[in-house]
Amino acid sequence: MKYNCIKRLGLTATIIFGVANAGAVYAQTADELKNDTSDPSSILTYGMGYGQQRHSSLDMVNADNVGKLAPAWAYSLADTRGQESFPMLYDGVMYVTTHNSTVALDAVTGRQIWKSVIEYPAETPRVACCGIVNRGSAIYGGRLFRTTLDAHVIALDMETGEEVWRTKSIDYKAGYSMTVAPTIADGVLITGISGGEYGIRGYLEGYDPDTGERLWRTYTVPAPGEPGSETWKDGGDAWQRGGGPTWLTGSYDPELNTVYWGTGNAASWNAGLRPGDNLYTSTILALEPKTGAIKWHYQTSPNDPFDYDATNELVLATIDGRKVIMQANRNGFFYVLDRTNGELLAAPQFIDKVNWATGIDLATGRPMDTEVATKARTGEQVTYYPSAFGGKNWSPMAYNPDSNTVFINTFKDVGMQYKAVEPQYRPGVFYFGAEFAWAWPEGDRGELRAIDPMTGDVKWADSSALPRLAGVLSTAGNLVFTGGQTGEFEAFNAETGEALWSFNTGSGIVGQPVTWEKDGKQYVTVVNGAGAVYALFSGDERLATVPPGGNVWTFALVE
Amino acid sequence: MLIRLAASLCFLALFGAPVFAEDFDLTKAKRTYKDFCSHCHGIDMVNPGTSSYDLRKFPADQKDRFYTSVNKGRGDMPAWGDILLPDELDLLWKYVVTRGGKEPLPKEEAAVPATDTDQTQQHGSLTTKPGTLTACLAKNGGVMSSRRAKGGAGLDYALVTALADQMGLALEVEWFESEQEEESTPIRELYALLAYNVCDVMPGFALYETSLSAFYKTRAALPRYDNKPAHLGPEFQVDLEPISVSDPYARMEMGVVYRTPEFEREITQIADMEGLKIGVEQGTLAGVLTLRQGTSKMVADSITANPGPDFLWKMEQGAFDAALVTVGAYDFHKKQNFVSTLALDEYRHPIGFNLSVAMLKSRRDLLDQIDPTINAMIADGRMAALAKKNKVTFSSPKEPWVQSNLTMEDILLRR
Ligand code: HEC
Repeated sequence: MKYNCIKRLGLTATIIFGVANAGAVYAQTADELKNDTSDPSSILTYGMGYGQQRHSSLDMVNADNVGKLAPAWAYSLADTRGQESFPMLYDGVMYVTTHNSTVALDAVTGRQIWKSVIEYPAETPRVACCGIVNRGSAIYGGRLFRTTLDAHVIALDMETGEEVWRTKSIDYKAGYSMTVAPTIADGVLITGISGGEYGIRGYLEGYDPDTGERLWRTYTVPAPGEPGSETWKDGGDAWQRGGGPTWLTGSYDPELNTVYWGTGNAASWNAGLRPGDNLYTSTILALEPKTGAIKWHYQTSPNDPFDYDATNELVLATIDGRKVIMQANRNGFFYVLDRTNGELLAAPQFIDKVNWATGIDLATGRPMDTEVATKARTGEQVTYYPSAFGGKNWSPMAYNPDSNTVFINTFKDVGMQYKAVEPQYRPGVFYFGAEFAWAWPEGDRGELRAIDPMTGDVKWADSSALPRLAGVLSTAGNLVFTGGQTGEFEAFNAETGEALWSFNTGSGIVGQPVTWEKDGKQYVTVVNGAGAVYALFSGDERLATVPPGGNVWTFALVE
Repeated sequence: MLIRLAASLCFLALFGAPVFAEDFDLTKAKRTYKDFCSHCHGIDMVNPGTSSYDLRKFPADQKDRFYTSVNKGRGDMPAWGDILLPDELDLLWKYVVTRGGKEPLPKEEAAVPATDTDQTQQHGSLTTKPGTLTACLAKNGGVMSSRRAKGGAGLDYALVTALADQMGLALEVEWFESEQEEESTPIRELYALLAYNVCDVMPGFALYETSLSAFYKTRAALPRYDNKPAHLGPEFQVDLEPISVSDPYARMEMGVVYRTPEFEREITQIADMEGLKIGVEQGTLAGVLTLRQGTSKMVADSITANPGPDFLWKMEQGAFDAALVTVGAYDFHKKQNFVSTLALDEYRHPIGFNLSVAMLKSRRDLLDQIDPTINAMIADGRMAALAKKNKVTFSSPKEPWVQSNLTMEDILLRR
């Protein structure tokens, strides 16, 4: 098996190399991807750079003039699902995805260049737990790569939108789906999988971007006998439905040639039925991009009963001279790890209310569980904080390296009433293994926070009645952009947290803002379109007055 | 404050005692809703209503629409018919019309739920419809039952007519089509029809040990039947329930059929057919017995063919000379083919199945009238006469009434 992969890879590398060298108009080379952050006229990697800092050096739009920010154009995605797509930009063309289409737009005018429609079986949405969404694409060598809800990986010609290849990852009927934006690392197209609440066995996969051939698959739950299997002590077949999905895009450090990818919660939620730590669920993995081999792992929530995925984005930074990765985990702690070896450097609590653990032991790297956690595992009814939404849900944070500040949309004081029950497995049906209900706070449910990553100290906070589920963008113009579920696209002073500007986009925002430059002018783009996990699961009726309907909005200063 | 109240109400409903749940299993309904529907329609059906339908507003008088939309899907909603079990769909409907157990079931729901087996008590009658005995019969039941423009034919049809008569009830027949698919065996169809209250009684139940117990607590699809409601798709499955059976009224046996008198032999066991070209009915008990109890030479030269009416037709055309088949199959062949060179030997294989009338256990009081009627009809020769009239080679029931599960020995022992 291994041997085969290596042989195939040898073949592949030459083909990719050939394409890159051909120097086609649309060729994005590996170097371009690596240096994404240094060229603001393009956005070639998910998270605005392989390190996913979502920080731009552009400062034409800044805290002094942001009041003059106004729409330049809007483009209708003709879709009423929640929109979470991360826009890509290359050579003046913007690429946006929805669950059923990919579009290429003229970035300056918003005019459609092509639209490529995706069809999938009508039954697929059954297995999409948290919204019929798509989070974006990867671009490389003149091609755009994306995943489909029914778990296919496809490549489109960036010039025409025509499908170049399509590879089925797995049968969606067993509960697998794909919403993740794939990524390119060391010439390999890497993707994850969703389905953590359907009793799947999670994995990551590497594909040949040229042919669509699968190069490797690394399961996040080991089979008996494989390394890590000793942490599944049930002695039965829990591992087969053990969870560990990989539904958010990983980061890549080209210097260390390492991909970092977070895995989701173990399944079912009933942790008592799967004694042991349950590797590699709720874990940060460091992998070798060419083979998918795991270099090191760090588990944030061993034997997790609370749906505490560790899938959240892994932001690369250099702090105090150390190469680190940072993650605002669902479980309420902010992890800073040495990314060369996985050593835990800091793990401050980044929200106010956490009651399942008193902290993370820096010596052992393990959480110090409270009675809430132990009771939950033995089937007692508990109220735990933060809820399954997490201290932070999927919506990505931003990191300003100049001020060493992280900007995060957090959930405020939202907890969950919880009781583990016997799960019933049926392919393609929820496999919760728990009864649950929300425990809402009396006041605001969300807070945008500016924090110090090493200490968790809060520099400023802006609370909101409804939690924000949009991504955050930081710019050198002393600005932080994000959006509200009620539709406002907002700008804050990055230093003080003062709300400087907002614009009602007409539908809720759960997308990911980006900024870019063209011909000496700075633009800010965000995709709106209410829906997805909070709208679906919270039952928050205040959202009834926010219509669905996705648009790509692009803003610039009024001249 | 309002929100808090709502949240704590939800919580109560989740863990606490249901308020209006006497009529159905609210806890199960809630879980089913959560597992299948909550990720679009919101936990406890609370959703902003902006992209998925607000189920709290679903009209309580549009049950058919609910079943159709959920089974087949609608607009952006996927279809669920192939994955939901029937009781789950029913529970979801009740969950939705009671607004999650917060309101009582509408009157008509509580009174005639589709699978409520207690209706008998409510009507003070042992049958679904007072004054009427409803029987399920297969349209394609060969010499035992077949549909006619008016009424029907066959021994089973004659039997239920006689039973209804004796009980002073009108007879209504629900004609169904026995599906020939692999997964659906006639026995499961029978259980499903009874459990879904399509009819009160069903003749033709072969008394075999497993058939009497094995299917309880499992589910099965309904075969097609004339009055099957449109909203029940082929995916629809029924929760099976325990049944009761009458005293046997006839016996299904296997015998040797040969072609033209020249192939006739003195037969006391299957191996006696040696020297003849033997047909083996694939996948049937008769076929298995032929292979296991025939001599090796016989088996080596045998011809295997698919079961069904074509089997004997192949023999008629000379494909083989003799075969072990059920006597009913021979009767049907003779009935369909006036000119035939096939004849039935007197030999009967010792393995046979007594036939009885099946009904839900909750209707077993019907047996007080059915059993004496059957026994009288056998005793005074009426049963045999009815069989003859319907071109059925009649065998009276034999002890033991219920054939015990076949063992390897039963199958291997030459007889
Ligand atoms: C993947 C998301 C999704 C799931 C899961 C889902 N629904 Fe729906 N449902 C919808 C949408 C969207 C609509 C609106 C359909 C339309 O009219 O376009 C809808 C509409 C409906 C309607 C109204 C249909 C009508 O006749 O107007 C009913 C009833 C319904 N759903 C019941 C259910 C039940 C019961 C379940 C669980 C078995 C379920 N739904 C699961 C998305 C979903």
